[in-house]
Amino acid sequence: MIGQLLLNGTVSGLLLALPALAVSLTFGILKFPNFAVGGSLTLGAYAGWVFNTQLGFQIVGASLLAAATVALVSVLLDVAVFGRLREQGSIALMVASMGVSLILENLCRFGFGNATRSLDVDVARPLRWAGLRISHEQIVTAAAVLGCLVLLHLVLRTTPLGRAMRAVADNPTLAAARGIEREVIVRLTWAIIGLLTGLAGVLAAIDRAVEPLVGWSYQIPVFAAAILGGLGSPLGAVLGALAVGLSEELATLVVPTSYRQAVSFAVILLLLLVRSQGLLGARAVRK
Amino acid sequence: MTAYLVTILVIVAIATLVGLALNFQWGCAGLVNFGVAGFVALGAYATALLTPVVGWFAAMLAAAALSALLSVFLALLSIRLADDYLAIVTLGFGEAVRLVLLNEGWLTGGALGIAGIPRPFASLIAPEHADFALLGFAVALVGIVYIILEALVRSPFGRVLRALRDDPVVAASLAKPVLILRIKAFAVGGAVMGLAGAMHAFYMTYIDPSQFTAITTSYAFMAVIAGGRGSNTGLMIGAGTIMLLLEGTRFLKDLIPALDGAQIAALRLGGVGVGIVLLLLLRPQGLLREPQRKAASLLADPERADAADPSLPASHPQEI
Repeated sequence: MIGQLLLNGTVSGLLLALPALAVSLTFGILKFPNFAVGGSLTLGAYAGWVFNTQLGFQIVGASLLAAATVALVSVLLDVAVFGRLREQGSIALMVASMGVSLILENLCRFGFGNATRSLDVDVARPLRWAGLRISHEQIVTAAAVLGCLVLLHLVLRTTPLGRAMRAVADNPTLAAARGIEREVIVRLTWAIIGLLTGLAGVLAAIDRAVEPLVGWSYQIPVFAAAILGGLGSPLGAVLGALAVGLSEELATLVVPTSYRQAVSFAVILLLLLVRSQGLLGARAVRK
Repeated sequence: MTAYLVTILVIVAIATLVGLALNFQWGCAGLVNFGVAGFVALGAYATALLTPVVGWFAAMLAAAALSALLSVFLALLSIRLADDYLAIVTLGFGEAVRLVLLNEGWLTGGALGIAGIPRPFASLIAPEHADFALLGFAVALVGIVYIILEALVRSPFGRVLRALRDDPVVAASLAKPVLILRIKAFAVGGAVMGLAGAMHAFYMTYIDPSQFTAITTSYAFMAVIAGGRGSNTGLMIGAGTIMLLLEGTRFLKDLIPALDGAQIAALRLGGVGVGIVLLLLLRPQGLLREPQRKAASLLADPERADAADPSLPASHPQEI
């Protein structure tokens, strides 16, 4: 029983890790909490659904295409909206990202209605291993996320792009003085953020269903994970996501499942009471 | 037609209250609140549950007090940190309120909500004039709240808040109690959201969780951005205009019969999103900017400064 909960919590935590990473990267490099993540997840879910059921791609191809779609949309949004608001400071960006989230979610609702749709995934019997039920979707999710994390880690740690991103996050002025084009790095960051949320959107659709509110339901757990890890720390975001996923699963032992979504809110509150800089973050308290 | 007009005006009045509240928290003090719908819902439910027990006036006060208290609690948790945390905490709070309303059926009636909420003075007024009377009540409430908030904005308290919003470090270096002031500002806004919820409950006479959603919150943000952050008069104009536009979309169905309910809903909510983004891009200062006091006029002698800027009260201590 507990073992099953731990397994489920780990997998749903892994699913949260991708959008939490996206939020963390946005915060580190662009210095604002990106509330557009909910809308981006929904867009990813619908893009995956279109490529998969309407255009006949297999789920892997459809996921990659959905990730590419959301990446493209994210870059375009930076050109059209966020790039122009950078001078207005983080609060304007934050409110704008909320507006963008609404736009993306309602574009999907306008195009496809409120009906719940599902992806065309081969149904397989769950594996039984050491008394645990491991579903096919859980294996797919875990493999996809872990692959993504390894890839992202390599990009951030070993490539010139990763070095430039870390430099811009640490000290944009110094990075600019060393000849790093901030705008280019920012656009590439948006592309990475889009890839992460797009893929996570498809995984969320496999986990739940394709409907307009699918992304919104992840908004608070994702932020809980990102804060838990200390905003701006990629590794922290992954650990935070695992912690939130596990607490949501384990909380079902003590609170009714209908309050599952409130668990991540409780995690945020507790954390702010106890340790406000997050697990691995060194966020300076500003005031 | 008259009945419809009265309805629209009451809805505008409620929306204006919500907007005024957010304008105080965000426009004036720079505190982002993504949980507006949650605070309004709290006020509405408190009013619905308490009016039959203690009467409408005490119930309204309780609604305002409850919202203010919870605002203080959330502010205390996160206000020491950067603004981003308050935004995230209030977002979570809004969702938590929704879950409680849905799941604690013994108190809130769950998804069905609460019906038969008595209106103020209901026994004194003939039923055919009930909506008119309520409109009068709503307008009076907006007037009172407007006067109080406007006085607060112009008081030394409001001035320090704006100084904090624009540069907390300088304000702190002038020995202003930054945290306490911010918590107070958030509580004042919360109280007004509670009142807006009370008004909503009186007008609808039945409430359920589906009436307090993202559209309430996003609409309030759009009203504040449109009106010009920090300007209460601008907010009244902004709130009225946007509400009329939103209500106008109800007629879309007659104009374009091909649209279904989900598409109309998507147009309304998505339209608010587009509005927020476009306003931020095109008119970040809003319709009416808050009055800019020129440094020179503050340094001149007070009589002349007041003559130059009619928006200032006649004599004011030089606080800044």
